[in-house]
Amino acid sequence: MAAALALLLSILAVAGCGKGEPVVKVGLVAPLTGDQAPHGQDLLHGATLAIRHANAKGAVLPGYRLELAALDDQRSPTQAVAAAKKLAADRDVVAVIGHLNSSCSMPASAVYHQAGLLQITPISSNPQISRQGFKTFYRVCATDDLQGPAGALFLINDLGAKRIFVLDDMTTYGRGLANEFVKKAKALGATLLGHEGITQGDKDFVAILTKIKSVSPDAVYFAGMFPEGALLLKQRSGVGLGGHFMGSDGQFDPVLIELSGGKAAEGAHLTTIGSDIRQIPTAQPFLKEYEASFGPVGAYSAYAYEATNVALQAIRAAGKRDRAAVLAAMPTLKDIPGLFGLQNFDEKGDSLIRDIGIFTVKDGRFVFIKTATWD
Amino acid sequence: MIYGVIQLINFAHGEVFITGAYLALSLLTVLSGASAASALSWWGAVLVAGAVAMAGCGVLGLAIERSAYRPLRRAPRLNALITAIGVSFVLQNALMLLYGATDRYFPNPIPLIRWDVSGVTVTLMQAVVWVSSGLLMLALQALVMSTKLGTAMRATAQDMSACALLGIPVGRIISVTFVIGSALAAVGGMLFGLTYGTINFHDGYLVGLKAFTAAVLGGIGNIPGAMVGGLVLGLLEALGAGYLSAQWKNAFAFIILVLLLLFKPTGLLGERVAERA
Repeated sequence: MAAALALLLSILAVAGCGKGEPVVKVGLVAPLTGDQAPHGQDLLHGATLAIRHANAKGAVLPGYRLELAALDDQRSPTQAVAAAKKLAADRDVVAVIGHLNSSCSMPASAVYHQAGLLQITPISSNPQISRQGFKTFYRVCATDDLQGPAGALFLINDLGAKRIFVLDDMTTYGRGLANEFVKKAKALGATLLGHEGITQGDKDFVAILTKIKSVSPDAVYFAGMFPEGALLLKQRSGVGLGGHFMGSDGQFDPVLIELSGGKAAEGAHLTTIGSDIRQIPTAQPFLKEYEASFGPVGAYSAYAYEATNVALQAIRAAGKRDRAAVLAAMPTLKDIPGLFGLQNFDEKGDSLIRDIGIFTVKDGRFVFIKTATWD
Repeated sequence: MIYGVIQLINFAHGEVFITGAYLALSLLTVLSGASAASALSWWGAVLVAGAVAMAGCGVLGLAIERSAYRPLRRAPRLNALITAIGVSFVLQNALMLLYGATDRYFPNPIPLIRWDVSGVTVTLMQAVVWVSSGLLMLALQALVMSTKLGTAMRATAQDMSACALLGIPVGRIISVTFVIGSALAAVGGMLFGLTYGTINFHDGYLVGLKAFTAAVLGGIGNIPGAMVGGLVLGLLEALGAGYLSAQWKNAFAFIILVLLLLFKPTGLLGERVAERA
């Protein structure tokens, strides 16, 4: 962590002292500190690697030095907007990678829209963000109106769950995803025993878990992030609540298993954005290099790499340090070679690569089950 | 307790609490590494970690009092209050730089043993929490009510200048109060870490607020009151979360605080400290 902070500081320091030589900047905003910092660091590392690769291929914009301007939003919508305004005010910034949380990407997207600044989110999966009609918004991952139904289908058809209790963390991401899940679960004929919210950052979920235990569901579905997911798993085994547990992509991080104390996560299922990256041939060189530089590949590392890569292609195509030109270049890019194959976007700016994966925890590790369907 | 004596809401108390948790975490990590060789039993490890955390936080409490609050003793109370918030920020960020910004896994050497008492599951961990907090409360009560030091503390709480006139070393009494309060916070921090298994540098903030709510609920300056207040607050939160809605769990705590301050500002068991002139 100290090393990561030092890295961050050095990036900021470099960004601060580029006098003389003209620079072109790509912004990156993610929770670099706070309880979701592991995810944020994954994004930072992924983007850093993409910039390193692009520089190795020759200057992205001849005559300009390419820099990553990394800012911390601490998963807070207020901080996210502040960071977005800071980037919008910096004329050297021509594209932004971010944010991680949908609750941050959503309000920040309006700022980028006003500034005419290209925003590519690596992993904010709430479908509403792209439905605002902002031409500045793109995303390289699948959305929750696919992830929710995919989870419901797997839980009900593959695991045979009929009575389900739904929890979410009341964020744009968690609540949105849970609602998509509930819609599909009801359509499939499952009984919904309840739908409750918990507070991000809270530690004690024994009360709600005891309540859930009293209605003895076949499965609990939690749409949220790993700090709360880990404690739910841990305290669930503490109160003796059995049945299936299914989480969402925000919990797809090895830290989930560590924080839950190991055994408590065993047998839990997760839906993930994208299928198993280790089985995609085009992603293998990325995996090797990332591991050599930063250690284990996190759930979102590849998406940050992909988003940065697309942004850099757009800057290359624009050929000048101009926000409008970069934005205009985006729709002209077709079949962008990326980690997950050829990347294309629909008219809302959403990626056409829309895989959802299903993983389970076995012997303290995430094990891939299958690529899911959602209808 | 600190509020009772010097009328200052110590906003940094929550941070001292979580510092205690981090100290215990460091120690338990070292001990569990060494335990294979020394064959230290689980309660030995917890006791050692607790003692060191208490000592460390006691020193921290003393340092905070000396450096941040003592120079402001004669200043208006608002100045000290703002300083308290500042100390809280400094400690929070120091912890973040020292231990990292991410959640840390808290090793728990206490074996998982369960008893079923007529349908209610009780774990050894919970028993440890009850017994240790009960014992500490009794010890604190005895200290404050029946020793010379405790009498001096209560006297200082009532009237600082009169105490000084009577030859009670007010400065030293306040320092001791900070040391004891901080050491107890360290125990709380360690038990928090052991119970939930993860700690984060900003966890102290909400805990500090809730501790203050509990103290007000029970009656400021009233030690059994603080414990009763904590229990009532926890029960109300849990019942509210269980029967009404988990989304409002934290809101319940603070709604209770507001209602109490409106209708019964002396708390459930009443303020033990006499009315100040």
